[in-house]
Amino acid sequence: MSENNHLSSQFDDDLSRLRSHVLQMGGLVETQISAAIEAYSRGEVASVKHIVETDRKVNDLEVAIDDDCAHIIAKRQPAASDLRMVFGISKIVTDLERAGDEAKKIAKGVRRIYEAGQMPSQYGIGVRHIAEAALAMLRQSLDAFARLDSPLAIKVIQADVDVDVEFKSIMRQLITHMMEDPRTITTSIDIIWIARAVERIGDHAKNISEHVVFIVDGRDIRHQPKENKA
Amino acid sequence: MKPLTTEEIRAVIAKGKFYDNLFKAVGVFCLAFALLVIVALIADMVIKGSERFTLDFFFNFASRRATEAGILSAWVGSLLVMLVTAMAAVPLGVAAGLYLEEYAKRNLLTNIIEVNITNLAAVPSIVYGLLALGIFVYQFGFGQSILSAGLTLALLILPIIIVSTREAIRAIPAMIREGSMAVGATRWQTCRFHIIPYAMPGILTGVIIGLARAIGETAPIITIGALTFIAFLPPVPFSAADAGTTAGLFDWLLSPFTVMPIQIFNWTSRPDPAFEVNAAAAGFVLMVMVLSMNAVAIYLRYQMRKKIKW
Amino acid sequence: MESPMQIQETPTLKAEARNLNFFYGENKALRNINMPIYDKKVTALIGPSGCGKSTYLRSFNRMHDLYPGNRYEGEIRFFPDNTNLLGADVDPIEVRMRIGMVFQKPNPFPKTIFENVAYGLRVRGETNKRVLEDKVEHALKGAAIWEEVKDRLPEQAPNLSGGQQQRLCIARALATDPELLLFDEPTSALDPIATGAIEELIHELKKRVTILIVTHNMQQAARVSDYTAYMYLGEMIEFGKTDEIFIKPQDKRTEDYITGRMG
Repeated sequence: MSENNHLSSQFDDDLSRLRSHVLQMGGLVETQISAAIEAYSRGEVASVKHIVETDRKVNDLEVAIDDDCAHIIAKRQPAASDLRMVFGISKIVTDLERAGDEAKKIAKGVRRIYEAGQMPSQYGIGVRHIAEAALAMLRQSLDAFARLDSPLAIKVIQADVDVDVEFKSIMRQLITHMMEDPRTITTSIDIIWIARAVERIGDHAKNISEHVVFIVDGRDIRHQPKENKA
Repeated sequence: MKPLTTEEIRAVIAKGKFYDNLFKAVGVFCLAFALLVIVALIADMVIKGSERFTLDFFFNFASRRATEAGILSAWVGSLLVMLVTAMAAVPLGVAAGLYLEEYAKRNLLTNIIEVNITNLAAVPSIVYGLLALGIFVYQFGFGQSILSAGLTLALLILPIIIVSTREAIRAIPAMIREGSMAVGATRWQTCRFHIIPYAMPGILTGVIIGLARAIGETAPIITIGALTFIAFLPPVPFSAADAGTTAGLFDWLLSPFTVMPIQIFNWTSRPDPAFEVNAAAAGFVLMVMVLSMNAVAIYLRYQMRKKIKW
Repeated sequence: MESPMQIQETPTLKAEARNLNFFYGENKALRNINMPIYDKKVTALIGPSGCGKSTYLRSFNRMHDLYPGNRYEGEIRFFPDNTNLLGADVDPIEVRMRIGMVFQKPNPFPKTIFENVAYGLRVRGETNKRVLEDKVEHALKGAAIWEEVKDRLPEQAPNLSGGQQQRLCIARALATDPELLLFDEPTSALDPIATGAIEELIHELKKRVTILIVTHNMQQAARVSDYTAYMYLGEMIEFGKTDEIFIKPQDKRTEDYITGRMG
């Protein structure tokens, strides 16, 4: 990324506004996810409505940012780092929007569990742990984007493995639990859905980090064996 | 700065326009003065010479009686001298101009040559006459002939033709030359297919302007000794000559001759005022010859330029 | 970064600049240029005004020899015969017979359309009318202008539109089957439609001939070329596959130029 300004200051303005919109959208998704985690661990059904409403704002931002990207491509024909930035942002917002959708799914799952009067079982504690790990991944991927820090982005990509491992262990625990006590099946399935959503958030954070690596280094490291990613 | 109001803008324009109109008036006056002089000159000749505008005047030889004297030998002489001048000066001038523009390397020598060509154009014509007297008349033994006169005038107009050839060549865009060279043409191919044809209108203009100047020249012709009283025409090729021989193809070149300006000069220097009428009439004819040469130059240039666009 | 869009095979060399320096009198205009030109590929030269890209291009057909005071150092090797185009023993006319050129401004001769295209053949001494007619038709078809001018061959070429004139100039260059075709900003005097036609033509031509093109228009370089070289102040800053230069240039100066951060 070049520290020089463009000959066209308007182009600079357009690009920096685009980036700050992405960070703003990222901030909204982060609050959605952390609110969903809070709701899950404390049983705050009231905040679910707020999370769902925030999702609408996130969707609006996604559309607005995509529109800006299209305009920049049409008017400026960006090349090299500018092209990677616009192209990367357009993909990052897709992942951010889906991460927001996952937060909404968590919130709705929480509402089902608590409205049915079922407290999350002790095995659900693990969910809170990976949820925080996934949220940290997302936060770091956005930091990596804000600072154009590809080593940080690569760390996030590597962290996704841990989340996946932990998700599998939660699944095994919950399956054992359901076999021991069939009455907990309904709740356990809801918890599985929530854990699944958390794991997906981790995947989106990883995708965002991959886009950041593309923006910064011009390398496309998706779908490659891990040893190539460092 | 406060923007000007409409009134102020109009005042500024009006002030500017005053000088516009002033200059227009001065310009028209100058132009009218120059034109008036020429018109007066021509009108004077026409009025003075009017009684001589008969066929006889064109087909009579010089005579001691003003009313019987004509300009036959003079205009034929002028035409023949011009023919020799053109035949000599055009190839030489065009070749020299072409060489200087297309072949010669830019160095001190070519710079000196260039300066001197311009200087040659400024040399008084009488000097050419003296030069020709020494070289053509005596050294080469051409005598006081059409050939000597034609070559002398050719020298005189050579700088004009060289300069106009160079100007015409320079007006050809470099991209045409490059376009030709880029397909693998040699310099000569480029000159033959492009430079010479495209420079032709300009060269032709220079040639005719040069000839128009040459046809009115008196001094060098007198210097080499043109006769002022000639009652015969140069021998027509293969016509019967005296003593039963036949004239050769080029015999006319070495024939004595006279030309229009000399005829006029001769008439004006006679004491009999009747010859002044002849002089005026001949002057008018010479004028028409020069003007029509210029007209032909303008017409040809226009016709040729129409086809050449870039 | 491997993708099916990229050129997988190793291309053969058509020409190669080796330690090329060029001087306009005392003024060094090209500095130690080393660069390959690949056979049947389009190579674009980009860079700001005065960077030497046109000077470099015009070294290939020895155009600089037309003017005094110009001097080359180093060599441009031309394959397959490994001739040094700049060699003292190589006649510039021989070079120009093998390498065609299309100029910035269309420069048709003020002659007929037919004569414009036939000129290169006439220069080579071809006089057979049938051969001339065949080759002119073939060249005009190659330059995608045959349909427009086939009924107007005896007309004056400068009466054509700018875009047609430029395609006529391409036909003139094609008529003599050049091995390498040089384009010096061929569309800078043309409107976008005519530009599009020329770009499409370049794409067609690379099946038959190697192309080296100088362009001010970066998008044009990105659209038409397989390889791109970025030049700055007489130096070759970066040479690479066009896809890579326009997505991830290696040199910061290339990056700044391509993204409009110069100056």
